[in-house]
Amino acid sequence: MADAAPVTPTGERAQISVRGLDFYYGSNKALKNINLDFGEKRVTALIGPSGCGKSTLLRVINRMYSLYPDQRATGEVLMDGQNLIDEKVDPTDLRARIGMVFQKPTPFPMSIAENISFGVKLHERLNRAEMEARVEWSLRKAAIWDEVKDRLNSSALGLSGGQQQRLCIARTIAVKPQVLLFDEPTSALDPISTAKVEELIAELRADFTIAIVTHSMQQAARCSDQTAFLYLGEVIEVGSTSQVFTAPREQRTKDYVTGRFG
Amino acid sequence: MAVVTSPLAARRKRTSKIVAALCMAAAGIALAVLFSILFTLVSRGLPALTFRLFTTETLPTGENGGLANAIVGSLIQVGIGMAIATPIGVLAGTYLAEYAQKSRLGAVTRFVSDILLSAPSILVGLFVYELMVATTKTYSAIAGSVALAVIAIPIIIRTTEDMLSLVPVPLREAAAALGAPKWKVTTLIAWRAAGAGMLTGLLLALARVAGETAPLLFTSLGNLNWSTSLSEPMASLPLTIYQFAASPYGDLVELAWAGALLITVGVLAINIIAQLVVGRKR
Repeated sequence: MADAAPVTPTGERAQISVRGLDFYYGSNKALKNINLDFGEKRVTALIGPSGCGKSTLLRVINRMYSLYPDQRATGEVLMDGQNLIDEKVDPTDLRARIGMVFQKPTPFPMSIAENISFGVKLHERLNRAEMEARVEWSLRKAAIWDEVKDRLNSSALGLSGGQQQRLCIARTIAVKPQVLLFDEPTSALDPISTAKVEELIAELRADFTIAIVTHSMQQAARCSDQTAFLYLGEVIEVGSTSQVFTAPREQRTKDYVTGRFG
Repeated sequence: MAVVTSPLAARRKRTSKIVAALCMAAAGIALAVLFSILFTLVSRGLPALTFRLFTTETLPTGENGGLANAIVGSLIQVGIGMAIATPIGVLAGTYLAEYAQKSRLGAVTRFVSDILLSAPSILVGLFVYELMVATTKTYSAIAGSVALAVIAIPIIIRTTEDMLSLVPVPLREAAAALGAPKWKVTTLIAWRAAGAGMLTGLLLALARVAGETAPLLFTSLGNLNWSTSLSEPMASLPLTIYQFAASPYGDLVELAWAGALLITVGVLAINIIAQLVVGRKR
C-alpha cells in the first residue's frame, strides 16, 4: 500500500486521501465528488464562503456525522489504506487517530487535568505518574503549561476563552492522534489569543497532519502549506497556499481570495 | 440639555408605570397570602412544637402523645419512594433527552409522562390500591412508597430531560470527537454538566411527595401505633395532619398544627438546598 500512496499537488505523501466523496444532509447533497489529499505533517487550509461544505468535509473525516442518523456519506476517505467511512471502521477508534478542535472552546465541566485525562483514559490505561506526565506533555505542547501548571485541579471553566481553546487543543493532542482537524478554531477568540493559536498550529505541524477550516484568508495564508477552495460543495481549486493566493488558476478562486464575494 | 418628551413617549412612560404597578400589586397579593399562611402556621404550630413530639408516638386524646411514628413513617416512605423513583426517572429522562428526541416511542413516553405529571394524586393512590392493596388484601407502607414513587417519577423525568437538553451539543460532540462512545458521553459529560439541575429536580420531587396525602390514603392508610414494618399500615405526617386536624379534640388539632409546621419547614429547607446547589454550580 505504501508504494501506491497518493501525493498532494505540492508533492508530499498524503496522510488522508479523499476520493469521490459525496455527502448528504437528508436528501440535500452538501458535498459533490470531493477529491483531496492531505499531506503528511502539512497544514491544509479549507477556505470558501459560508455553506460551501468545508466544515462538513472535516466532519466526514472523523465520522462526526455518524452521530446523526439523517446524515450519510458515500465514497472513500483513505487513511493507511483503510476507508474511514466504511461502517466496519469503529468511529471511536478512528477518533483516537484523528482529533478535532471546534469553533467555540468546549471545556468539560471538570478540572484542567481531568479535561486532559478524560480522552486519554478512553484509549489507554496509564498509571498515575504516567498520566501526570501525559497531562504535562500535552499542556506543554499546546503552549499553555506555564499558565495552568499551578491550578491543574481547578475547574477548566475558570480559564479565559483563549486558554480554554488551547486546553481543548491539549486535550486533543493528549490522545496522540496522527491528524488534527481544526474547525474555525479562532473565530470565537480575540486577536491576541488568535495569534497564539496560529503560532501553536505552526509548531504542531512538525508532529501532526493538520486540516484547518477558516473564514480568514489571512489565517489560511499564514498557517497553511496547501489550500483548497470549496464552493457549493465542490473543490474548485487546490494547490500550494502561495499559488492559490497569488496565482489562482480558477476565476472563482481569484474572485474569492481577492474578496469579491463570500 | 433640555428634556424633550413627545406625546408618544409620555404615553409609553405612563403605560409602563401602570403595568409595573399592576405587576407589583399582583406580587404583593401572592406574597400576602403566602405570608399569612406561614404566619398562621408558625403562630399555631410553634407552641405545640416540643421535644416530646419527636420521641412519643401518636396517642389518643388526653394522653399527651407526639408525632414520632408519623415522622419516622414519612421518612421511611418518602425515602423508599425516592429510591424507587430516582433511577427510573433519571434513566427515563436520559432516554428521552439522549436517545429518543425524534423517535415515536420517545414521543409517546414524553406524552404519557406529562399526563402523569398533572394527574390528580388521589388517582395515583387508587391505582396503587388496585395494584398492591387489593391483591395483597392489606394496606402497607410499601404500597404507600410505590404511590409516592409514581408521583415523583414524572417530575424527575421532566426535569432530567429538560436539564440534559440544556447541555450544549458542541460539548457532547467534543467528547465524541475524543473517541468517547455514546454512553460515556452521556454519563461522564452530559450528566456532569447537567448535574446541578438534575439534583434540583430530585429535591423538588422529594419536596413534593413529602407533603402528599392523597396517594397514601388508600395505600399505607396511616397507623396510630408504632410500626416500621413495610408490609403493614404505616403512619405519615400528612395523613396524621389530615386525621387530627379534623378531630374534635383540641390537643390533637394542636399536634396537627405542629406537624404541618414540620412539613413546611422541611419542604422549605429542601427548596433552599436546591437553590444553593444550583447557585454554587453557577
